[in-house]
Amino acid sequence: MANTQSPDTGIIGIFRHLDTVCTAIEKVRDRPDFAGHEVFSPTSYHEIEHASGFGASPVRAFTLIGALTGTCTGFGLALACDWDWPIVVGGKTAGIASLPAYVVLGFEFTILLGAISTVLGMLVMGRIPNPKRRVLDVRTTDDRFAIFLPGAQLSSPQAQFLRDCGAEEVRNT
Amino acid sequence: MSDDSKLWSKTISDVNSEILVNLENPHPAYYVALALSVSALLVGIVFVALHFTYGLGLWTFRPPVYWEVDITNFVFWVGIGHAGTLISAILFLFRAKWRNTVNRSAEAMTIFAVICALVFPLIHMGRPWHGAIWAVPLPNTNNLWVNFRSPLFWDVMAISTYFTTSLLFWYMGLVPDLASIRDRCKGFKRLIYGIMSFGWRGTAKQWWHYEAGYGFLAALATPLVLSVHSVVSWDFAMSIQPGWHTTIFPPYFVAGAILSGCAMVYNLLLPVRYMFRLEKFILPEHLEACLRLTLLTSTIVFYAYSLEFFVAWYSGNPYEWALFEKRAIGPYSFYFWVMMFCNCIFPLALWSRRVRNNIPVAFVICVLINVGMWFERYNIIVSSLVEDFVPARWGHVQPGLWEIVITLGSFGLFTTFYLVFVKFFPIVSLSEIKLIMPKPLSSKAHGGAHHHG
Repeated sequence: MANTQSPDTGIIGIFRHLDTVCTAIEKVRDRPDFAGHEVFSPTSYHEIEHASGFGASPVRAFTLIGALTGTCTGFGLALACDWDWPIVVGGKTAGIASLPAYVVLGFEFTILLGAISTVLGMLVMGRIPNPKRRVLDVRTTDDRFAIFLPGAQLSSPQAQFLRDCGAEEVRNT
Repeated sequence: MSDDSKLWSKTISDVNSEILVNLENPHPAYYVALALSVSALLVGIVFVALHFTYGLGLWTFRPPVYWEVDITNFVFWVGIGHAGTLISAILFLFRAKWRNTVNRSAEAMTIFAVICALVFPLIHMGRPWHGAIWAVPLPNTNNLWVNFRSPLFWDVMAISTYFTTSLLFWYMGLVPDLASIRDRCKGFKRLIYGIMSFGWRGTAKQWWHYEAGYGFLAALATPLVLSVHSVVSWDFAMSIQPGWHTTIFPPYFVAGAILSGCAMVYNLLLPVRYMFRLEKFILPEHLEACLRLTLLTSTIVFYAYSLEFFVAWYSGNPYEWALFEKRAIGPYSFYFWVMMFCNCIFPLALWSRRVRNNIPVAFVICVLINVGMWFERYNIIVSSLVEDFVPARWGHVQPGLWEIVITLGSFGLFTTFYLVFVKFFPIVSLSEIKLIMPKPLSSKAHGGAHHHG
């Protein structure tokens, strides 16, 4: 039965205060018996990010690659059309691309593809949408913090540890 | 921190419950406003339908002024759309706290204003179904590609990029809030909000990537805000028409756009704050900050108007100077002086703290700024176009019934979209307002803070 268990089954400790949950996160972070735990927060407090020890997010690679692709696409589109059928103005030599005019197109495509790939990066790295996961406690999108440990039991020492860290409630999910 | 706690009478626990409850039960004034907006929209639709049926001859414009009110409205609405991304992106990078209460409203305003702007070139085409072929880079019947050197094409690219990026920015900001609504609903509503929130769970990792991505979107949107109205201004400045062919146009247009956008944010926020009882969340300090930005951009616009006149005189170009003389004391002086008073003179009252804190007076000043900004575009466009290079075509043009009704219709479209939006989505960003409120710390931490403080 164990391998058919939902990834959402386990114990969840609800915290009321930001400083309490940050202290708890720092404690459980490197404990092997808390491997695979998840932290929930109602908004993006930087304290939680620091306590979890996150560095720079890989979303930045998505942004960079998207933006550079956009620059190449914008200039490439204008240059390819220019090469295919030059619009000769004032008798100027065809084949000499008027790059300054294409800066606008290059710029707009940089922003456009950069923005689209950034959003894709946020979704991919955040693992959403994921219909297999469900909401564990509705209060975490309101005003409560939570630490979730998959596969643990309410009677386990981990549950007691969460209580000791200051969880106002520990329950099964 | 101690200042923040004095400012707020609410805690983060009140945010979801109080803001979302009011969504379901707005003040009756909301329904009156919605009915008025929908009526204006319907009248506009009838007039546009007649215009498509009988053609452009119904309008009062005449050659050489082809674009008259259409392009005036286009530039006006794009300008309104500016403050949204300015507030959400540039002020985000500057970490201006007041933006967290008004950014959602401003972003929604951006989206709907850009939609209103996009409607006008389509209306003006007369046969808008052809627009799809003209606007995209496809070879036409002469086997030519679009002219990538044309400012009109740049404009299409700039506006569509701006719209897409603003839409992404706005929607990503909404995702955690949609999850908050989902977690308060049951049944079908829960499913709909759940799908719209992409199944957001609010884990620390999700927030980490979200914050990083949001910052990058802001960084990408910042040059975009400044570029869009610059590109719009090149529609004019790249021509050789006296009154348009000036290098000051890009910064002048950007400042004007931000001025009208900030004034519109104020004008929209006040009724919504009242209808949805958000007085405890959108504080007077936040409204005042918006007025300060309005005042700043108003002074930049004042400077730009003056400089434009100075350069017209100093350049020694008789055609340029004749045009500016005509604007100030000629047949278009009415439009010119409305513009000057509404955009430059009346906003000077905002230097006074008492005026900034007097909500009705500030509201009227912001309405006047929007009137003034509309007149500014009309003034620039019509007074330059009406006397072109063929003196036999010179004459006088002013808006007729058709122009006025379709303009009011666009306001109906804008306010209808906006009012429908505020009914179903939180107009104050739930997750972001929590960030500027006092943090939910334990009594132990509070004691420590006092000790250190």
